Amino acid sequence: MVIEIVIYAAVSSAIYAMLAVGFTLIFGVARVLNLSHGTFYALGAYFTYTYNGLLKLPLFVAALLAIATVAAFGVAIERVMVRPLRHSGLAVLMITLAMSLLIEQVLFLTFGSETQNVPSLVSDKVTVFDVDISGQRLLAFGVSVVLISGLWLFIQRTRLGNAILAVSQDAEGAQYMGININRVFASVMGLSAALAAAAGVLAAPFSKVEPGMGLLPMTKAFSIVILGGLGSIRGSLLAAIVLGFSETLVGYLISSSLTELVSLVVILLVLILRPAGLFGKHVAF
Amino acid sequence: MPRWTRWGLLALGLIVLGTAPSWIDDSYWIGVLILGYLYGVFASSWDFMSGQTGRENFGHAMFVGGGAYTAAFLNTKYGVSPWWSLPAGGGVAVVIGLVIGLPTLRLRGPYFALATLAGATILQRLTIILWEQTGGEEGISDLMPLVGSPVAFYYLALGFMLVVATILVLLARSPWGLLLRSIRGDEAAAQAAGVNTTLHKIGALLVSAFFAGMGGAFYAHYQLQVGPTLFSITVSITVVIMSYVGGIGSVYGALGGAFVLTLMTEQLRRVGEYRLLFYTLVLIAILFFLPRGLIAPLWRRLRNGGPAS
Repeated sequence: MVIEIVIYAAVSSAIYAMLAVGFTLIFGVARVLNLSHGTFYALGAYFTYTYNGLLKLPLFVAALLAIATVAAFGVAIERVMVRPLRHSGLAVLMITLAMSLLIEQVLFLTFGSETQNVPSLVSDKVTVFDVDISGQRLLAFGVSVVLISGLWLFIQRTRLGNAILAVSQDAEGAQYMGININRVFASVMGLSAALAAAAGVLAAPFSKVEPGMGLLPMTKAFSIVILGGLGSIRGSLLAAIVLGFSETLVGYLISSSLTELVSLVVILLVLILRPAGLFGKHVAF
Repeated sequence: MPRWTRWGLLALGLIVLGTAPSWIDDSYWIGVLILGYLYGVFASSWDFMSGQTGRENFGHAMFVGGGAYTAAFLNTKYGVSPWWSLPAGGGVAVVIGLVIGLPTLRLRGPYFALATLAGATILQRLTIILWEQTGGEEGISDLMPLVGSPVAFYYLALGFMLVVATILVLLARSPWGLLLRSIRGDEAAAQAAGVNTTLHKIGALLVSAFFAGMGGAFYAHYQLQVGPTLFSITVSITVVIMSYVGGIGSVYGALGGAFVLTLMTEQLRRVGEYRLLFYTLVLIAILFFLPRGLIAPLWRRLRNGGPAS
């Protein structure tokens, strides 16, 4: 049973990590608290459903195409909605929240409120240490590790990555060095949307695909990001693991109905004990 | 506009609303007006805290739902008289406000906004998880009404809204209101002037929570049932949008925004599914084109006989 807990916890940590890293990245770089992050997750699942279920594309192609579509959509939201309002943090909060509700409504009007089926990319069961686990969950774990390591390398090794790093440290200073910060913001939004969409695509087969599916994962992402420290990628990775494991443990040891409470308790505890989070440099803003 | 015209307009408005049941024969429209008053209570209580201090609460539904569920529990499980629900609902909302406000409002930054959003989402999940007590998706029904006849209910709701609005407007215009607005303007400067900003933000949140909770309990005894949607982000955001339409920080603007939007969206009821879509489109338009809102600036312009200040 211990191994079962570890495996399931690792898979949900991986999904949470993909969501939280993107959320913290766009905050750390652009100081944008993106309340439509959860819809990127939902859109990932719905575009996969559209491309695969309705347009009959092969599932793998549909998944990749879905991620690309959501990334482009993220860039568009940054360009059209967020950029003109960036002077006011409150307006950005409101517009991203409004976008998330708008998209949820559009999904609801297009697909209805019933849950959709997104097939698994890997349908076989795999036995790891005598535990049967669906291949899809293992795939989600693997892809998450690959994507996040890729993101890390991208930020550390490439020119655009360095520009992102520079802007996150001091946007104005970076601008004086000739970095086009608008392009950096747009690419970060695209990256963060792509990661959230990937999480949605991978989790879709074993979760309920419905218009409001993004809200709860997004509140999980909040608590992870608060625990890890707003803007810290390392912090969110660690916090995703902490939340994934504590939720799974609470589910196994006490009751699965209490798992939803874990993230709220985490938020409150962190804000009382250490508001900057594990790796946050200072309380933001 | 001279002072007496303003008072005249206010009196005229009160007479129109006060006599409404005699010239509106349709019980459906009376119901719409009652809903407008209750949303007026929700929106103005939201605006009192978030509009004055500039700390946006994205989970006002926590207080509304908390008040409503308190009313439902007390009334259906323990047979307590509906009149006790109002203070009890307000009290429970104040406790929720303390739990969310104490850790988050001493911090700068988006923590309060995030915690309120997360808190409401999780409370909504809890109503479904603890279905044995809360009735799950079905909620709790068969509450007792506060008063018997629809017309009595109408006057009760009108009076309730007027009392709450008067208290909130007076508080906002008091020296305390000025102090709260100084937090929105420049929190560091307010602190430097010796204001304990955390204390006042929490105080404002508790006032806001109390009236929203009372309103929620009132709503529960009007609808005679409660359900998880009371905690939904739809409720929270509807309240925010009403305040935005009214003009943030004016309290009376939020009241007007609630009233106008409730009446307008009733027209959309036959296309009910498009209601939230309409609300969000209104919000986006306001954010881009009318960042100061609609009703409060209009009123100021009328009052000053010149451009809105």
